[in-house]
Amino acid sequence: MRRYVIRRLIQAVFILFLLSIGLFALIHAIPGGPERVFLSPHQTEAARKAIIHNLGLDQPLPIQYWNWLKSALHGDFGTSFTDNQSVASDIFARFPATMELFVASLSFALVVSIIFGVVAAVRQYSITDYTLTILSYLGISLPVFWFALILQTIFGVQLRVLPVFGQSSPVTTGFNAFDHIQDYAVHLILPAIVLSILFIAGWSRYLRSSMLDTVKQDYVRTARAKGLSSRVIFFRHALRNALIPFITVVAIDFGGIASGAVITETVFAWPGIGYLFYDALNDRDYPILMAMLLLAAAFVIMFNLIADILYGVVDPRIRYS
Amino acid sequence: MAPILEVKGLKTQFRTRDGTIKAVNGVSFDLDEGETIGIVGESGSGKSVTSLSILRLLPTPPAEIVEGEVLFEDKDLTELDERDLRKIRGGKISMIFQDPMSSLNPVMRIGQQLLEPINLHLGLKGDVAYRRAVELLRAVGIPDPERRIRGYPHEFSGGMRQRVMIAIAIAANPKLLIADEPTTALDVTVQAQILDLIGQLRKELHTSVILITHDLGVVAGIADRILVMYAGHIVERAPTDELFANPRHPYTLGLLASVPRLDDVGVNELQTIPGAPPDMLNPPAGCPFQPRCPFAIEKCKTFPPDVTVGREHKSACWVDVTAPAEIERAKQRGFIPLRPVGGSFIGETQRSVQ
Amino acid sequence: MEILQQPDASQQSGIAAIELTPDLVRKRRGQLRIIFDRFVRNRAAVAGAIVLSIIILMAIFAPIITHQTATYDPANTIPDHPKPSDLLAGPSWAHPMGTDELGRDFFARMLFGAQVSLLVGFSSMLVAIVIGASLGAIAGYYGGWIDNVLMRVVDAMLALPYLLLLFVLSIIFSNGTVGTVVLIIAILAWPATARIVRGEFLALKHQEFLMATRTLGAGDLRLILRHILPNAAGPIIVNATLLVGLNIINESVLSFFGFGLTPPQSSWGVLLGQSQTFFNAAPRMLYLPGFAILITVLCFNLIGDGLRDALDPHLTLR
Repeated sequence: MRRYVIRRLIQAVFILFLLSIGLFALIHAIPGGPERVFLSPHQTEAARKAIIHNLGLDQPLPIQYWNWLKSALHGDFGTSFTDNQSVASDIFARFPATMELFVASLSFALVVSIIFGVVAAVRQYSITDYTLTILSYLGISLPVFWFALILQTIFGVQLRVLPVFGQSSPVTTGFNAFDHIQDYAVHLILPAIVLSILFIAGWSRYLRSSMLDTVKQDYVRTARAKGLSSRVIFFRHALRNALIPFITVVAIDFGGIASGAVITETVFAWPGIGYLFYDALNDRDYPILMAMLLLAAAFVIMFNLIADILYGVVDPRIRYS
Repeated sequence: MAPILEVKGLKTQFRTRDGTIKAVNGVSFDLDEGETIGIVGESGSGKSVTSLSILRLLPTPPAEIVEGEVLFEDKDLTELDERDLRKIRGGKISMIFQDPMSSLNPVMRIGQQLLEPINLHLGLKGDVAYRRAVELLRAVGIPDPERRIRGYPHEFSGGMRQRVMIAIAIAANPKLLIADEPTTALDVTVQAQILDLIGQLRKELHTSVILITHDLGVVAGIADRILVMYAGHIVERAPTDELFANPRHPYTLGLLASVPRLDDVGVNELQTIPGAPPDMLNPPAGCPFQPRCPFAIEKCKTFPPDVTVGREHKSACWVDVTAPAEIERAKQRGFIPLRPVGGSFIGETQRSVQ
Repeated sequence: MEILQQPDASQQSGIAAIELTPDLVRKRRGQLRIIFDRFVRNRAAVAGAIVLSIIILMAIFAPIITHQTATYDPANTIPDHPKPSDLLAGPSWAHPMGTDELGRDFFARMLFGAQVSLLVGFSSMLVAIVIGASLGAIAGYYGGWIDNVLMRVVDAMLALPYLLLLFVLSIIFSNGTVGTVVLIIAILAWPATARIVRGEFLALKHQEFLMATRTLGAGDLRLILRHILPNAAGPIIVNATLLVGLNIINESVLSFFGFGLTPPQSSWGVLLGQSQTFFNAAPRMLYLPGFAILITVLCFNLIGDGLRDALDPHLTLR
């Protein structure tokens, strides 16, 4: 087991390394070169010269790469063009909001997909199953941004029951603590639902087919031959076994935290790193863009690794071999 | 002595997209207390489906027991309420299956799986149950059971896993043990050990056993009586010695002829039964073996009755395969007699030495 | 120990060896027939295919449908001297989906939008498939270090956040034309295909019939193209179908946010982007294009899954 984890760790580092090279190549492939990435158009000539010298942009490529990598590993991703803060602090400041959104929508998606997936499997070929299948097909065919806009329209503009922008109301005078919490919660509803749709669509289908496969297994027949009740068979034998590979799917999807929220956050003006990314796109704020790419990739790789490890922990066949 | 199990006219079918598969077509037999019967047949003969029908373990949307009764302790298991049936499953009647690796839950410890019937049918819990589980493992021959009980299925060898399955099956002292091809997935040497184990346990626990297999050698050593199945019917039934000494159904003859023997001097090639089993979607009206049978006559187009051909020996065939005229006719159709038909096949009664 | 042996057909009819008879050729055609039958049994997939065909036909014949000429382009055809009531008008007989803010027929814009969206979807799929299948085939066939290197690259690319890269590449390289958008989408789409094709090749390259063909003097390229690839075609086709749907969504995301196609190109995504300003007056400009995307992508998904089920070797042909 330990050997397994170490091997996967090494692979992960290697991939990150490859990625950093790729990113570096991308920076240099941009028309305008790295100067466009690192130098804000608003700076004075002297300041530019200083930065060029500091970053070693006048040095040969491998040295540049090394410098860049070094500073990146120290958390220095440069300075944002737009607000002149360090990129790291900008991202840091907005990260909690995205985390909140992600945790909320993932939890919601988990609960709903387990229910949907299990119900669809247990009542295979029933109307419930067909309905859920149709819904999940719709879910994966849906353009997320459009769905967000539709929900905004229906609930925010026409029915006026839910807020559609931001994380909290603009005016909060006279709010006590409870009101604040309620305000936050209410603002979280729509974005979380939108973000969860894709997850629910994919996960419930996965769980359904996983359950169907599991139920056909011989050991379920053995369990029936022992005279166990349907409920015991279902939960202790079928569901538990079906959830094991499901965990890795969830872990891997969680890795999409950095990128998954861009659209949702932008449409709902949710102040997270996704919205930060969108603004940076419009402003051509390259330091932020590059740092986000690297960060997002690192997350994906890290969660892939976590998924692998989790699988090894939960499945005794891997754990004890 | 009244039989503990009576199967009467069992008919099980599978509804598929292409039609209805008539897997079991009117199977009847009795099982006495302490008796071991072997059900022998090839793949598709319906032997497994028969055994699964007894405990209603077939998935019921495609499968359905359309006719017949299975009487156990004065109750018809085919009509029994699911809740009552569950009390019998694993308790009074238990079953072991062919592939012990896939029949055990791979992510659950052996001990946990063994405790399930102990908790459920014996009502034992906690420490008492645990100790019983350890004893069961010991009884089936698992070394160091206190340690191995915490293991997972993949940490055991094939034979050991089957022993665990047997332990689970006998945990509640069943009256009847159904073993569906218990040795097919195992090596030959391990096969013998498992069969010995089953034999030993049934003696100690006075359990009746139904042993299902395609391998005549397996049943020769352990069964009191043998039922030969083909295309969903029992075509011959006899006490073991009688069946080997005096086989009467052409299919049985074919089976016995295709078993190679150590003392086969002068018999050149392995005999096979030409042709293929019938299509179970549309089984023929008459004798199902007729297309492949060297003894077939015109009358075989109607379904043959069970003909008594010896003591407790019945064969579902119109033809007397011991009559020289019939043998001659069959020889012309390619039939090679066992040496000699009607006489002793094995010579003296002899248990198979596998 | 099997008691019964089934004599095979050749033994019974006396043919000593298996020849490349017309029987075998018929068998392959028979296999296609079986796959087709299985697909047809999937009603959802068939429905998807029918609806998609209608959409594609309408897109192809858009100019004829809307204006009976072959050179009509609604984006550029602004009515002269429109009355205020002609702008953002609701549905009417003349304009089944109303008009947009410049008085242009929205139904026509939708149909031409279909053209662009479908075009981008298909082209980017083709490019991605060609690149992905080639690289995957090479990796799977030759194995060794080529495979290792290629797969590490694929892994790295798959680890990258797809959407973020799409956006970044767009602002760097895109100039709003169809060509660049197609290329950008394709560049990010090929790794998934490569992995699938590589898997297939790895599995297939050990088949015995290949050794036989090789001893007859066939070279690598011929082997890859004429023998292995047809057998790997199934999963590739499934992947391609699903990919079109995915690409249509990606293009619409890019165009909606202004990073993809820009006017005068008018895909559904562009239409959606333009709908934002006039949303209050004409919400149908938001609903309709999005709905069109939903239906079209749904069709591709249904067909793709239907193909996958029809080609699945586990549902054996009895």
